Amino acid sequence: MEMMEEGVPPVINLSKLAEREETELEKKVAEIIKELGAERIMYCMQCGACASICPLAKTGFEWYNKKLIKALIVGLRDELLDDPTPWACVACNRCTEVCPRRVSPFEVMFAMRRLMAEEYAIGSLAIEGLRALYEYGHAVYMTGREARKKVGLPEKPPSTESDPKALEDLRKILKQTKLADLGLIPME
Amino acid sequence: MMAETAKEEKKLKFGLFLGCNIPFSRPDVEVSMRSIFPALGVELDDLLGQSCCPTWGTMPSIDVVGWCAVAARNLALGEEKGIDLITACNSCYGSLNEARHKMLTNPEIHRKVNEILATIGKKYEGKAKCRHVAWVIYKDIGLEKLKESLKYTLDGITVAVQPGCHFLWPSEIYPDREKDPFNPVVLREICEAMGAEAPHYSKLIECCGMGALRSTDPEKSFILVREKMENIKEEIDADLIVTTCSSCLIQLDDAQERLRKEGKLNFSIPVMHLVQVIALCMGFDPEKVAGICVTPRDEIIKRILENKR
Repeated sequence: MEMMEEGVPPVINLSKLAEREETELEKKVAEIIKELGAERIMYCMQCGACASICPLAKTGFEWYNKKLIKALIVGLRDELLDDPTPWACVACNRCTEVCPRRVSPFEVMFAMRRLMAEEYAIGSLAIEGLRALYEYGHAVYMTGREARKKVGLPEKPPSTESDPKALEDLRKILKQTKLADLGLIPME
Repeated sequence: MMAETAKEEKKLKFGLFLGCNIPFSRPDVEVSMRSIFPALGVELDDLLGQSCCPTWGTMPSIDVVGWCAVAARNLALGEEKGIDLITACNSCYGSLNEARHKMLTNPEIHRKVNEILATIGKKYEGKAKCRHVAWVIYKDIGLEKLKESLKYTLDGITVAVQPGCHFLWPSEIYPDREKDPFNPVVLREICEAMGAEAPHYSKLIECCGMGALRSTDPEKSFILVREKMENIKEEIDADLIVTTCSSCLIQLDDAQERLRKEGKLNFSIPVMHLVQVIALCMGFDPEKVAGICVTPRDEIIKRILENKR
């Protein structure tokens, strides 16, 4: 019994947190999120339009768009780093379409991913996708050779797979991005 | 812009953007595209050296400029040839056009991207965009020409359409837009032009749960599949699901089989990409254009091939 209670995560009371005085750290979180691409996060008025049509909210993920935005505005950060919700976002952009304040909650979700990546709170599947992108030029890289042969196509598509110079160009691009700064994958 | 110019001049021409899902997981969709477009008078360029768009779980999750730079290299492959790209994958359609929108509306991002591209001797001006196969069929080729090209029709077949998220939202970034993105009609009209009934159903615009949702939490993802499948069965009892998205195709085809194995679904509805259905109706080899699936298609293919026009 005691074991089970220990396993229950503490409830994060966002309403209580919202009453706190703004600290330096809190200011910083929203600023970081803005810099990472969600420029209009502070325009959110918590109307909930985004949550009403979000596939993540619907299927029961903890920190769906509206709630994540509130948490970031009140300055939460470390408490969110272990949560998988941003990495489950399908980028469907229903939220962007309906947001009356043009916040683009999708951008907040992805800015959160970028923040998490900076903190190395990034799952092995995402790392694998990035590695495959660098290695082959294709993130979703399956052993499709047999299937291609079966339907009468050349083994390799006319992509970076068939064009070593293009793959070299792509790698050169990737080496100039934050992917290289963070050292998330081996780059030669 | 570029497509219109091409149309006026003479022949439609696009760079065939494949992405990852289609060439590696569903190459029968690639064969379908390579079959139907030349037959409809559209020339395809292979766009040699293309890469992943980049998809959502990769560069878009790391760095906005890096995302746009990878997308811009792909778009530049078309721009250099004076053509737009064409894709049958909604994720590619979304990521490429979203990146283009960012570059066109944020000069700072565009400048940084071109600084990076300069190191490989390339640039991207923002002209070339990525078009969606369904829109090219609907708008550039036209439904009349499509109808004329068919050897078989979908007469007597009820279709459930699945446009998929990145066919619709966010509407402002796309080169082509539904009048009401929450009540999409383009895919329904294409299917109807081919002879099918394509009625509305309540969960028509619901997400299939593929991609990040499925890789993060398959069980939650399959809730969406189950709800959609049940809704399609209950409301319109469809013979076939037709989608414009390679992710929806893989998800709905594959996950309904998993649900059946778990005893959570007791019926089966075949799933095909729009370009596959068109290829079948044009008379191309079913093994080549629709030979890869988990949920059986034999019966629906047989029915289509009995519908001689």
